Amino acid sequence: MNNAMSIIFASDTESKLNELTLHRTTASLPFCGRYRCIDFTLSNLVNSSITTIGIITRSNYSSLMDHIRMGRDWDLNRKNSGIAVFPPYASNTSHNVFKGKIEALYGILDYIENSNDEYVIVTNSNIIASIDFDEVYEEHVKNGADITMLTYMANPTTSKRVLVDSDKNGRVTGMRITRTASNHECEIALNCYIFKREQLMALITENYERGRIDLEKDILQANIDKLKIYAYKVKGHASIIDDVKSYYNESMAILDNDIRNSLFYSVGKVFTKVKDSVPTRYCEGAKVVNSLIADGCKINGKVENSILFRGVIVEEGAVIKDSIVMEGGHIMKGSRLNYAITDKDVTVTEDKSLSGSENYPVVVVKNKTV
Amino acid sequence: MYTNKKECIAMLLAGGQGTRLYSLTRDLAKPAVSFGGKYRIIDFPLSNCINSNIDTIGVLTQYKPFDLNQYIGNGQPWDLDRLNGGVFVLPPYMKGETSDWYKGTANAIYQNIEFVDKFSPEYVLILSGDHIYKMDYSQMLEYHKEKGADCTIAVINVSLEEASRFGIMNTNEDNSVYEFEEKPKKPKSTNASMGIYIFNWAKLRKYLIEDENDKTSSNDFGKNIIPNMLKDGQKLFAYKFSGYWKDVGTISSLWEANMDVLNDNKGINLDDSSWKIYARNTAEPPHYVGSEAVIRNSLVTEGCKINGKVSDSVLSTGVEICEGAIVEDSTIMPNAKICKGAVVKYAIVGNNAVVGENAVVGARQDGMVDGQWQITVVGPNAKVKPNTVVPVKAMVD
Repeated sequence: MNNAMSIIFASDTESKLNELTLHRTTASLPFCGRYRCIDFTLSNLVNSSITTIGIITRSNYSSLMDHIRMGRDWDLNRKNSGIAVFPPYASNTSHNVFKGKIEALYGILDYIENSNDEYVIVTNSNIIASIDFDEVYEEHVKNGADITMLTYMANPTTSKRVLVDSDKNGRVTGMRITRTASNHECEIALNCYIFKREQLMALITENYERGRIDLEKDILQANIDKLKIYAYKVKGHASIIDDVKSYYNESMAILDNDIRNSLFYSVGKVFTKVKDSVPTRYCEGAKVVNSLIADGCKINGKVENSILFRGVIVEEGAVIKDSIVMEGGHIMKGSRLNYAITDKDVTVTEDKSLSGSENYPVVVVKNKTV
Repeated sequence: MYTNKKECIAMLLAGGQGTRLYSLTRDLAKPAVSFGGKYRIIDFPLSNCINSNIDTIGVLTQYKPFDLNQYIGNGQPWDLDRLNGGVFVLPPYMKGETSDWYKGTANAIYQNIEFVDKFSPEYVLILSGDHIYKMDYSQMLEYHKEKGADCTIAVINVSLEEASRFGIMNTNEDNSVYEFEEKPKKPKSTNASMGIYIFNWAKLRKYLIEDENDKTSSNDFGKNIIPNMLKDGQKLFAYKFSGYWKDVGTISSLWEANMDVLNDNKGINLDDSSWKIYARNTAEPPHYVGSEAVIRNSLVTEGCKINGKVSDSVLSTGVEICEGAIVEDSTIMPNAKICKGAVVKYAIVGNNAVVGENAVVGARQDGMVDGQWQITVVGPNAKVKPNTVVPVKAMVD
């Protein structure tokens, strides 16, 4: 899809990731051993030949800047396209951090206008999925759609979700914006859309001028009858990361073979910042089952149903179960982790025990020593 | 002031076929052979260069260069994508009415005199692409300058028995070289040349031209250039290196060097933040360890899927070890697959090779000494049929 640009929102205003996003955007939240959430979206775009990408940030964006740098690791250090990161107050019209997506997009209207691309993909950065935008585009054209919204099947949670009703052709006939959890699987929006660029600019300008801020409510929901909005159900596994529970569950989901294959081996590669870690070293005392292990780890203890990020040290006699240990974690002799998430560079000293529960994992914040 | 001039540039000899690695180098040059899980042999000299502040490197290629060229690319993984300098792949090329393959190590540099001249260097560092080691070339350069040498040769102390396999530098007390012996039957010393030289470029340039005019010469650094310089009374010094260094030119030594990585007391320490070894990344997910897996004393890297038993082994990127398979004391190269119930011991399994279900490759060996290991090889892309046995020291293509 070489006639499209993309705008990515680095943070979701609704995010409930608590300590995990204390010092970072949702986009730069470490995920699945060696990635940041935004890597999946960036890689999907790049794999579909979309290389003009603007990233809108709200706050805490230094970790994101450090991750992206010039975009080289995604092959986005280009002469005529590539990545542009927009910090808050990027335009002379904004004197406050934006309140909603309409305002944010209005703030970078020049950037969108300067592109010659016919389409714009507007997306959140907390979507974990392998998406072939070439296929989405094909459907978009076939349907003669104004807007195509990507959806997936899941149970609604207490986080804000846009539930989509569509007819047999995929035309969206109704949208419900809800925070009510349910055990019924519904078609839910991934907050990723294809717009025609000219039309998007007109919609943004008009709605901004009328004082509207909410893209989903004011542009999509309000125009269901006037615009041809189609839903495209993403193939394979998809999820949204926006609270600690979804972070934990979706991380653990990747231990499943089918889900891992769907994310990493179905459409294209997932790129991330290269750190030149050494391979992981298993020592004599290592006992690892059903786990994902990144490079640079040194393992001499027990690891079960867990995810270890780069450079984690597991000393002799330590036991890590159903847990996530982020980069640079050091779990010392005899320590035990159960249903725990330790952020970057956390040290758990000897013979300590950290225990959460399946629906409420305990979180240790960055740089702390337990 | 901005100038093209470089004090020292490196020329890396990467054209050798590496015949003693047999099928492992059938389709690619030796420096492109995988090592230590996520590296290629050439990552070591390239990383050493950048860590030693040498940012201009000519890589001389000749034999099966495509993989190597593609791997080096613009040099970005080694931070060698520079405005001035960086990494250059130098295959033989047409010159006027003549064109020649690189006839020998010295001839390869001779054919690229123009390239070196572009940077007007004082010194040229000559490297080869078949050794595993970490070395600070800037210290060797300091030594070269201190001694006022015309040529400095890095040497490593080997045992007396081994000495007959190397080029041996016989030195005076001040480390100046008075004699060079290629593979001596009765070695007088144990200073083995590591194939790493620093020359004053003006001197080397002169000797290269003279050597080229000598039609009887085999155009080789060890056989011709060094002896000629010695004969003329040029100042040659030996630079003693004491870290880990291994020539990985044979199946047995390549296997050994991989096993050495697993030995904390003996091998090369790859996990050294002050001396990182860089490699081109393949963008694979973290490795997955299944419920049936047992992994002990091994190196495992990105993209691996492990459900079998692995011990004392090095697994490269994207290797799959299926349920019930056993891998012991082996090196498995990128994207190879060991199917259900297969057994691999004391072996090297090449890139993309498949060892079929319940096949047996190699066998345990106890009580061997270094250099005498009987290693079984499954070549790149080879397929070992299910339920077959590949005997010790056999090679499957």
